[in-house]
Amino acid sequence: MRVRLSAALAYAAAAIVLISSCSAVTVPGSGPGEGSKVKPSGPITLAVVPKAIGLDFWDSVRKGSQCAASKMTGVTLQWDGVTAETDVTGQINLLQNFLTRQVDGLVYAATDAKVLAQLTQDALSRNVPVINIDSGTNPQPETVPVFATDNVVAARKAADLLAEALGPGEHKVAFIPFRPGTVTNDERTTGFKEGLAKHPNLKLVAEQISNSDPNIALSVTENILTAHPDLDGIFAASEPGVVGAVNALNQAGKAGKIKFVGWDASPDEVKGVTSGAITALVVQNPFRMGFDAVNAMVQTVRTGHVPTSEDTGVTFVTQQNVNDRQVQAILNPSCENPPV
Amino acid sequence: MGGARTTGSGRPLVPLPEAWRDRVRSAVSQLAAAGAVMVLFVYLSFASDAFLSASNLFNIGVQSAVVAIIAIGMTIVIITAGIDLSVGSVAALSGVLGAMMVVKYGVPIPLAIIGGVAIGAIAGLVNGLLVTQAGMAPFIATLGMLSVARGLGYIVTDSVAVSGEPLEFKLLGQGKLGSLPIPILALVVVALAGHFVLTRTKLGRYAYAMGSNLDAARLSGIPVKRYLTTIYIISGILAGFAGMIAASRVNSGQPNFGIGLELDVIAATVIGGASLFGGEGKIIGTLLGALLIALIRNGSVLLDINTFYQQVIIGVIIWIAVFWDQYRRRRAASA
Repeated sequence: MRVRLSAALAYAAAAIVLISSCSAVTVPGSGPGEGSKVKPSGPITLAVVPKAIGLDFWDSVRKGSQCAASKMTGVTLQWDGVTAETDVTGQINLLQNFLTRQVDGLVYAATDAKVLAQLTQDALSRNVPVINIDSGTNPQPETVPVFATDNVVAARKAADLLAEALGPGEHKVAFIPFRPGTVTNDERTTGFKEGLAKHPNLKLVAEQISNSDPNIALSVTENILTAHPDLDGIFAASEPGVVGAVNALNQAGKAGKIKFVGWDASPDEVKGVTSGAITALVVQNPFRMGFDAVNAMVQTVRTGHVPTSEDTGVTFVTQQNVNDRQVQAILNPSCENPPV
Repeated sequence: MGGARTTGSGRPLVPLPEAWRDRVRSAVSQLAAAGAVMVLFVYLSFASDAFLSASNLFNIGVQSAVVAIIAIGMTIVIITAGIDLSVGSVAALSGVLGAMMVVKYGVPIPLAIIGGVAIGAIAGLVNGLLVTQAGMAPFIATLGMLSVARGLGYIVTDSVAVSGEPLEFKLLGQGKLGSLPIPILALVVVALAGHFVLTRTKLGRYAYAMGSNLDAARLSGIPVKRYLTTIYIISGILAGFAGMIAASRVNSGQPNFGIGLELDVIAATVIGGASLFGGEGKIIGTLLGALLIALIRNGSVLLDINTFYQQVIIGVIIWIAVFWDQYRRRRAASA
C-alpha cells in the first residue's frame, strides 16, 4: 500500500511537472483556434484513435495516418483504440489518458456523438486541438473539423445502385444496418431510406442489425432469406454485415441472383465483387481520412491554422471497374501510391 | 440428480421417495425450458409460413450450434460452481490462429482445426491453473483470460480479419454429411460426449460433488485441483472448437468474433436449469436453453420484430429461469 501510494505521488508529481513545462510553450490566442498552443518546430506527438481496432477500415485509417506522419520530420503518432465500437466509456478513458499524457493534437473518430462532445470540450480547454475522422460529435465545435465520408449522400446513392441493378418492376429488399445509435449507422440508414423513397417500386421487407459481427449478420441474413424466399435485393451498411450476408447468399445458392449492395472493401468483400456475389460496394477512402487528417493536424499544431472539414469521398466498385488503377489504389492503399 | 442411489460410497444413501422428489425437482427445471421451446415452436409454426421448413430448422440448428457447443463446456464448469467468462475471446483467438495456420503457413485444414482446439485447451489450462494453483476466483481468472485472449487475437492478426482461406476451409461450418449440416453433427457428438462424461464418468460425478460442497469433496479424497483444471481445459477445448466452426461459417478468422458471446452461453446454461451456485445442471437442459435463444432470434426475424426486443426477451427469460431456480431452492430448503 505504501509503495503504491508513493508511486501514485510520483506520477502526480511527474504529471504536474509535465503540465507546467508544456504550458510554458503555450501561446494563448495565437490563431483562429484560439488558445491552441503552436509549435513551429521540434518534435510533436499526435494521438490517432479509431472507433475500434479489428476492422479493415480502421487499419486503412492507420496506414494513411502513419504514411502522412512518415513524410514529415518530428511527428510521432500514437495509434490506439478500443476493441469494440460500442465501448464508449472505454474510448473516453483512452482519450482522457492521451490528454493526461499531453499529446499535441487529438485525431479521433467518436464512438458516440453526444457523449464524446464533452471530451472534445475538455481537450480544447486544455489547448489540445482536435480533428474528428469518420464520425464527429454533436454539437460539433466550429474549431473542430471533420474528415469523413458524407454517409447520407453515399447511402442515398446505394439505394440508387440497388434500384438500377434491379430494374423496373416491384422488388423486395432487405436492409442490414450495424449499430443503431452511432452517427455513421444512423446517417447511412437515413440516406438509404431517403434513397428508397425515390424508388417506390422497391419495398423494404426486412431490417435487422448485424451488431458489427459477421456471424450475427450471417444468421440474420439466413433468417431473412427464410422469411422472404422471394427477396430481390439486400443492402448491408458495413463490412461485417457484408461478409456475413455474402456467406449466407453463397450457402443458400442465391449469390448473384439477389442483387447485393455493400459497404467498405475488405479483401473478402472485393472477392465478392469479383465473383459476382456483390453487385456493388460503396467504398470510402479511409486511407485518405487518416492521411489528410494527420496532415491537417500537423498544420494546426505548427501554425495554429484550423483547416475546414472535408468530405473524403466514396467510390462505387463494381465488377466492371474493380481492376481499374484508380480503384485499386483505393482498395489496396499504400504509402508508395497513396489514394489522395 | 437422478443417480442418488448409485453414486457409491462418496454420497449418503437417500431414502427412495426423497430421491424421487429430487429427480422430479431437477427434471422440472429442464421441463420449464422444454415447455418454453415447445410453446415458441408451436407459435412460430402458426405465425410464420416459412418457419416449419427443413432448411429453416437446419438453419436454427446451425445457428445454435456455436453457442450450444461452448455451453456444454460451460455447463460442466458451472456445475462445479465455477464460471468461464473467457469463452468468446478464446473462440475468437482459436478462430484467427486456426485460420492463420491455413492461410499463412499452409497447414492442412484438419491439423489447423486441431491446432485451433489446442489453443483453446492451452487457454483453458491457464484458466484452470489460475483457479486451482493461484487460488483465484473463477470469475476473476477467466475475466483476465477474456481480456488476454482478445488482445492476443488482435496482436497476431494486426487487428485485421484473416481471409484467403481455401474453399475446403468452409467444410466444418458450411458442409453437410448427407443432408445434415456438419455443425449440427458436431453439436450432437459433443452433446453425447458431454452427457456421457457427466453421467458415466468419475469426472462428472466429482463435478457435481465439488459444486455441491468443495470442502467435503476435498476431504473425501477427490483430487479437486486436478479435476477442476481438467474441467477448465474442457471448456477451453470446446470454445476453441466452436471458434473454428464460427470461422469456417464466414470463411475467415474474425478477431472481433464473439464479443459478448459468453453472455449467450451463460444464458443458455442457466435457462437450461444449471445453477450458478453449483451442483446442478444437465446437458439436455443446456441444449434446450441454446435452442430457445436461437428460436427467439430466428422467430424475431421471421416475424419482423424489431431486433432490440430480442435482447429484452432473452433477458426476461434469464430472470424467469434464475427466479425459478431460487424459488425451487427455497422450497427445497424449507421442506
